[in-house]
Amino acid sequence: MALKPTATSKQNVFDRRLSTLSRRDFFSGFSYGLHGAALAWLLGTDLFSANPSLAPGQEEGRPVYDLKPRPPHFPPKAKSVIQLFMNGGPSQVDLFDPKPILNKFAGSAPSRDIVNEIEFANEVGSLLPSSFKYSKHGKSGIEVSELMPHLSECVDDIALIRSMYGEHFNHEPALYLMHGGRTLPGRPSLGSWVVYGLGSENQNLPAYIVLDDPKGLPINSVQNWQSGWLPPIYQGTRFRSEGLPLLNLKPREELPSPLVEAQRTLLRRLDELHRQKHSGQPDLDARIANYELAARMQITATDALNLSQESEETKEMYGLNQEITASYGKRCLMARRLVERGVRFVQIFIESQIWDAHSDLENSLRYSCGKTDKPAAALLKDLKQRGLLDSTLVIWGGEFGRMPLSQVRDNTGSAGRDHNPSGFSIWMAGGGVRGGMALGATDDLGHKAVEQRVSVHDFHATILHLLGMNYRDLVYQRHGLNERLTDQFPARVVSEILV
Amino acid sequence: MISSAVRRLCILYLALALSVTEFLPLGIPLLGQDISLPTFESDIVPILKANCLMCHGETTPQAGLDLRTRDSILKGGKSGRAVVPGSSDKSLLIDKIASKSMPPGKVKLTEKEIGLIRLWIDKGAAGGEITVTSSKRAANDVVSEHEVLPIFQMRCTGCHGKRRQEGGLDLRTQASRLKGGKSGPALVPGKPEESLLMKRILSGEMPPPKLLYEYAVRPPTTTEVETLRRWIATGAAAAPTAAASLEDSSDPLVSDSAREFWSFQPPKRPDTPRISHQDLVRNPIDAFLLQKLEAKNLSFSPQADRLTLLRRCYLDLTGLPPDPAEIDAYLKDDGSGAYERMVDRLLASPRYGERWAQFWLNAAGYSDSEGLIDEDLIRPHAWRYRDYVIRSLNSDKRYDQFLTEQIAGDELFDYKKVKQITPEIIDKLAATGFLRMVPDGTYSTGNASVPERFNVVADEIEVLSSSVLGLTMGCARCHDHKYDPMPQRDYYRLSAILQTAYDPYDWMTPAANNPYELKFPTRHLDIALDSEREEVARFNAPVEAEIKQAETSLQAKATPLREKLLDERLAAFPQSIREDLKTAASISEEKRSALQNYLVEKFQEIVKITQQDLVKRFPDFKLETENAKKNIDALKKKLQPKPQIRALFDMGGEPSTAYLLRRGNAQSPGDLVHPGVPSVLKAGLAPYKVVTPELNRESSGRRLALARWLVQPNHPLTARVMVNRIWMHHFGTGLVASPSNFGRSGVPPTHPELLDWLATEFVQSGWSMKAIHRLIMTSTAYRQSSHFDPAVHQADPENALLSRMPLRRMDPEALYDSVLKATGRLDLTQFGRPAEVEVTPEGEVIAKGSNKGWRRSIYVLQRRKTPLTMMEVFDLPPMSPNCIERRQSTVPTQALQMMNSEVLRAHSRYLSGRLIDQFGEDRNKQIEELYLRALSRRPTPEEMRVAREGLVELEKQWASHLENTRQEAPKLPTARWFALAGLCQSVLSSADFLYID
Repeated sequence: MALKPTATSKQNVFDRRLSTLSRRDFFSGFSYGLHGAALAWLLGTDLFSANPSLAPGQEEGRPVYDLKPRPPHFPPKAKSVIQLFMNGGPSQVDLFDPKPILNKFAGSAPSRDIVNEIEFANEVGSLLPSSFKYSKHGKSGIEVSELMPHLSECVDDIALIRSMYGEHFNHEPALYLMHGGRTLPGRPSLGSWVVYGLGSENQNLPAYIVLDDPKGLPINSVQNWQSGWLPPIYQGTRFRSEGLPLLNLKPREELPSPLVEAQRTLLRRLDELHRQKHSGQPDLDARIANYELAARMQITATDALNLSQESEETKEMYGLNQEITASYGKRCLMARRLVERGVRFVQIFIESQIWDAHSDLENSLRYSCGKTDKPAAALLKDLKQRGLLDSTLVIWGGEFGRMPLSQVRDNTGSAGRDHNPSGFSIWMAGGGVRGGMALGATDDLGHKAVEQRVSVHDFHATILHLLGMNYRDLVYQRHGLNERLTDQFPARVVSEILV
Repeated sequence: MISSAVRRLCILYLALALSVTEFLPLGIPLLGQDISLPTFESDIVPILKANCLMCHGETTPQAGLDLRTRDSILKGGKSGRAVVPGSSDKSLLIDKIASKSMPPGKVKLTEKEIGLIRLWIDKGAAGGEITVTSSKRAANDVVSEHEVLPIFQMRCTGCHGKRRQEGGLDLRTQASRLKGGKSGPALVPGKPEESLLMKRILSGEMPPPKLLYEYAVRPPTTTEVETLRRWIATGAAAAPTAAASLEDSSDPLVSDSAREFWSFQPPKRPDTPRISHQDLVRNPIDAFLLQKLEAKNLSFSPQADRLTLLRRCYLDLTGLPPDPAEIDAYLKDDGSGAYERMVDRLLASPRYGERWAQFWLNAAGYSDSEGLIDEDLIRPHAWRYRDYVIRSLNSDKRYDQFLTEQIAGDELFDYKKVKQITPEIIDKLAATGFLRMVPDGTYSTGNASVPERFNVVADEIEVLSSSVLGLTMGCARCHDHKYDPMPQRDYYRLSAILQTAYDPYDWMTPAANNPYELKFPTRHLDIALDSEREEVARFNAPVEAEIKQAETSLQAKATPLREKLLDERLAAFPQSIREDLKTAASISEEKRSALQNYLVEKFQEIVKITQQDLVKRFPDFKLETENAKKNIDALKKKLQPKPQIRALFDMGGEPSTAYLLRRGNAQSPGDLVHPGVPSVLKAGLAPYKVVTPELNRESSGRRLALARWLVQPNHPLTARVMVNRIWMHHFGTGLVASPSNFGRSGVPPTHPELLDWLATEFVQSGWSMKAIHRLIMTSTAYRQSSHFDPAVHQADPENALLSRMPLRRMDPEALYDSVLKATGRLDLTQFGRPAEVEVTPEGEVIAKGSNKGWRRSIYVLQRRKTPLTMMEVFDLPPMSPNCIERRQSTVPTQALQMMNSEVLRAHSRYLSGRLIDQFGEDRNKQIEELYLRALSRRPTPEEMRVAREGLVELEKQWASHLENTRQEAPKLPTARWFALAGLCQSVLSSADFLYID
């Protein structure tokens, strides 16, 4: 296992021996005063910086996985990522991709091929124009719908991709694809690959943090940030934005700190006795260090999410004082604080399916934009004013878009739109992305991406590229085969949007 | 950031710098001038000739890819087009050569060569002669039936095929198409516009839009319609579907030399080697291991002490530590052979099957839910398969029989005609649950279309090939295997074996109760013991009565409201009509007179009062209805499902025709395939041959033939793969370190002779797994200490030679179960429906206990959505679709779990209470008992000192904390209780407990 596929297995064994020896020799010399040493190792201080290794080390012939920062393949633009995941499938025709021609054909029946790829084939309506107004914004003059007044102020900082396409019209497979590169479950998520490749700048917090909505988990729940067959250390850690950030961060019963300390000391002494009887077992050092880290996380995690340190102005900017934006704004602000602390990958989800407008399109979109537009724009502005936007890649988008058709359900009043994986819009900003540009186009109806098409694999390859990694070379050996985020699919870095 | 075009130019200039002379003749100019483009003949062909054509040339175009001409390159092979003109990034050819996966040998293309090919593609991949950019065929090319049959199978035969012939029409064969249905022949060869089937499709009548959803069918695409049209226009010829047997002739795609790789040859029994330290040899395992150790002047480590061995054996074989009484009994037996007797006792223990079944269930991908979609529907009957595995292991069922039952239990007897259902019959059918465990969302309408069905089959093949064959066949779903001699064809031959049970074109829903009302039958068998049915009926009767009562009482409340609403609506009508209408509405339909019927129909809107109308009109009733519904739903959840078996069984009759799918895409069928096994596995084997099963004449026998082929005594893989896994679970690493990949890209065995000796021994012992356990565990190798010696480590750094026993961390199941046993909370109830789980307000998933305690993890609901948190943080693998080899991590959440989880604290307090009950204030005795229970030994004096000091400090802290609280209970005893609980929790969290020495 290595960032770069090794040429032959012999070579591999040789490398493995080298790293085993160095690490083990290091530890055998520090058997008893291991505390500081093990900690230093786990915390990734510069102990190993003289000989930075792309690959995690090996013990007992098994790789040892950790989150020490590792150098990328080439100098990166972005150091960290905030992904604003818009689960449910935002309607590109109503938000980012104006299609005036729909007005002309409103009410016409769709073609055979459109019907073939619709989720509810029995509820197909007719071509449906958007009822929202578009206008040009910024120096770039990118057209954005009236539903996104705050983002409209930031268009010169974003690259809007209007030609994304996926592979499946159902949420679950489409979400698997967006996260893991295939429409099947069980593969590592994008964020897992990133922290597997790069480790983290902060060893006192998880490297990949997920801020899910207190109102409920998204579809596919925790599978969205799973590490699949990558070691579990690379999976996303849920931080809750209300109450304790992390499950079991503290015992349920509030206990005075001398008592907690007594308990911890006892365990540490027992572990040290055990350690003395078992020299040459680095696993045990890592374990002890982990208990220390866990104890420290009670402070670091709580501190990272503590918004009382933010100014009133900042809170206002993120919409913390208005009910509709408060919850999402809070998480956007938390994301900024996490990135500031060196967390590599932060993902924000929203309550289940607010973009999934199968019916009552207009009200539904007003709600979802009302909830997210201001906080997302605030995040961009805030990162920019703090000089963090250049090194932070912000991604906005869902698992697919919506059909330019109406979907009609027997029992509901007004029409909605069904899923559309063939063409949808996302945007990216910061971290090496060129601002003020719109890339690609869908067909006249806004159904299929036709110009400068960007597949999900292209999307993944581009994100890895911005982080300084080549998607072909970020591999993990499984069953003797090299696995990649993009699997065996052809992919390209969307160089048009790079600075 | 440089753009990709510029980058390519850079590559070119780099190449130029490297070898100017080679480029000059091409006219590559200086900077600033136009670049003349590489041409196919002069630039590309030489590269291909030198590197690619030996495999992708005239004689045997591998993967169907012929790289000799520009057209054949554009046409591509089984994986699709090799080149997309204008986009090198999207071209498979570039993907392969740039990632160095092609050419397969050591010599790869240079960057210069790759750069040239890229440029050629990006500039349009022009040929020397005529430029044909479209791969579309000429209009008069004859279309084969094999291009349209898959379309019929995918879009039509659900209603016009084996199960149903709507309108009398069957579209499966040419004869039946010509014969047609009630409306006449479906097909007029040569005349698409006169063919009924074209007309119906073009008008959008077929497939009927209203039925698409419940049959999970999509209408044909424009391309498919066009293919159909051209097939008819070009004569609608039928094509032969006869089998081309590979077994009797040589295989053009797999050479005999490819079959020579060690794992494709049958194991040969080696002689036991002679070594110098014969005294260390307890059985041949030791001799084989020592041979390699002695070659490096090494030997085994000294034997571990008795109690270390006891704990090691208990945890290995049963997944539980011994209790103090068991320790005592073992220590009292000081006769010779005490160790062997202990191993035998454990092998005979029912706990053994519960422990080792977990590994097999992981290999099968066992789960109590369907997964894949968010709903994660629970599988109410999966546990029968779990019980089957536990019972089989406990009775040491022969592995050949174990496999045969799981792959083809339904073909071993005619279960449909059995008069008396017995537990054995249920066992054989439940065994087939082996291939029913992968994630399967096809019970839901939106996820049941043909591609999703193929995914299910693909996952089952992954399970079968990784767990039984030790091969990575999944790659060959989309393309020929990169490393192993497995052409894509062989993947589809294997999947065709399953097609009589899993037919993607004739699907069955995986769910027992068909929650989405798909028009598919269920893949469950309605076979159960009478006693079981009665038990369920008995359990359900009172609940059903309660449901009935709730429904009746809601009805009773609705009736007066309904009358009231009707009166209100009728108020506008004249008196005379009002009465008549009211009477008519109150009479049931069949008793109405013609006039009454007319009235009701005419004033339908008025007379018909729906539940919705009622709740709209009476808000109070709305609330009442909602509450009643909630109550009824809760009651329904209490109902036990009727006993059924989640099985895989032959569906009878001819299955659909099977095709290779290009790129694994259901919409790109390729060549016809017939059931078969990987062609590379041939040496020493009788060929795969399908015969009608003797005891079940209605079954196709395809899977039984597979099982029989697999369990041949000298099968190259079956026995090797299994003994390797048994070895892996005892020593942490297999003799082959890649247990699911014995192919070329796998790790070669550290001790090939030992592996073969064990494999042959396994077969000779009558495929007895317990015999292999016994051999391993009674060897000297297994009894070594885990002591680390730096000098030995230098010589055997990875411990690959087994110069000591590795120190292993408990897996999550062993940890979970051991905590329960050590704290006295373990409920040993065996078998049956799993224990439920619940999610705490904090979000922790825990198992529900009963007054008997908590059941072993294997008996807890294994739902994909809700893995037990404690096990999840200790690396419980997700089943996607299965897991052969586990990974371990050390992460802070594990520490948080052990320090702060309510579960561990509650168990610790329970144990603490029992220790106080047993030993009163005697701290030494409390601590000794705790050590025995948790660590299977007494504490050392130093440990005793540390433990006592810890207790004193904790007691002091608790006492002072309790002083400040308003706790009612007497403070001193509570402080002592909690302090001792703190010590218990520390010991259970300690490395000593977590690691197996």
